[in-house]
Amino acid sequence: MERLVEGATGVIPPSDRVPVLEHLAACPKCRHEAAALEDTVAHLRTAGEFGTPPGFWAEFMGTLDRRLAEERLPLLVRMRRALATPRYAWGTAVATLVTVLALSTAIWQGPQQTTETDPLASSARGLVTESMATTLPSLGEMIDVWRAGLSALPDPFGNGAEYRP
Amino acid sequence: MDAEDLRLVEAFRRGEESAFTALVIKYREGVYRVARRMLGSHEDAADAAQEVFIRAYRALHRFDGRSRVYTWLYRITVNLCLDARGRLARIPVADDEDAAHNLPGGPLLEAETENREVARLVAIAVGALPLRQRAMVVLRLYQDLPYSDIARIMGCSQGTVKATMFTALRKLRRALIAHGVEAP
Repeated sequence: MERLVEGATGVIPPSDRVPVLEHLAACPKCRHEAAALEDTVAHLRTAGEFGTPPGFWAEFMGTLDRRLAEERLPLLVRMRRALATPRYAWGTAVATLVTVLALSTAIWQGPQQTTETDPLASSARGLVTESMATTLPSLGEMIDVWRAGLSALPDPFGNGAEYRP
Repeated sequence: MDAEDLRLVEAFRRGEESAFTALVIKYREGVYRVARRMLGSHEDAADAAQEVFIRAYRALHRFDGRSRVYTWLYRITVNLCLDARGRLARIPVADDEDAAHNLPGGPLLEAETENREVARLVAIAVGALPLRQRAMVVLRLYQDLPYSDIARIMGCSQGTVKATMFTALRKLRRALIAHGVEAP
């Protein structure tokens, strides 16, 4: 079958020509198939070539030159121009609207309120055992300071006022 | 790779834009004809040919020279046409009577009129083939590429190309017989 296609389309290797011809001489079925393929190829090849309208190639090269000039522009400029084309304009408009709405909502609602957590109620408190508190007497003090915040520290300069870092 | 093409590719890599223009001029007709046979209309083929050269321009810096430039360009063309035709699958391929009108001019003799009609029927029959079969028929019979190049372009073995060609030619023969086209 491959040899028949090669023969019909004109690329049968010279070394294979004689064996193929001998086979065709002896095999009416393959001979009929080869003739049918050759007829079809002949029709296809004589069916005329497509021409182009007058001035087409000049216009083609002009358009291509313009597009290639665009290709040479920096990426940001190309992106800005591409987004401004009608093909992407609606997408750009929708994306811009969504971004503006999201930002407005975020500004309107302000930062989310966070609830202060009691350090002593945290899960870490369960890790401080009695023996630890006994071994490290300062641990209890540290927890008290942690709980009350730095303002509860005594004035390190002895002025009597509360320490404000 | 063809020595002239190699020289042009290297010149382009050195920054000579005119080398790319030279490549376009050299291969534009082949690219256009493949696209025209694949897509069936002049407008679609012209758009596809533009896109092929834009893609080639972007990728030519990375072209490794393992294949010939025209093989590479035809591969871009065929892939682009397969994508485009896939998108346009619901639209039948145009009858493309231009094929008939582009036969040599002169007075319309009876034989010439018949040739034009046959050309129109052949264009319809080729347009009705599945895309990959059409691509292989176009590359072999109209661009005269060797099977090794077609296999490289289509990303398959030469055996597959020949088997596909066999199937395509039988389909075309049935279609032409159905349209009453006799042996030339």
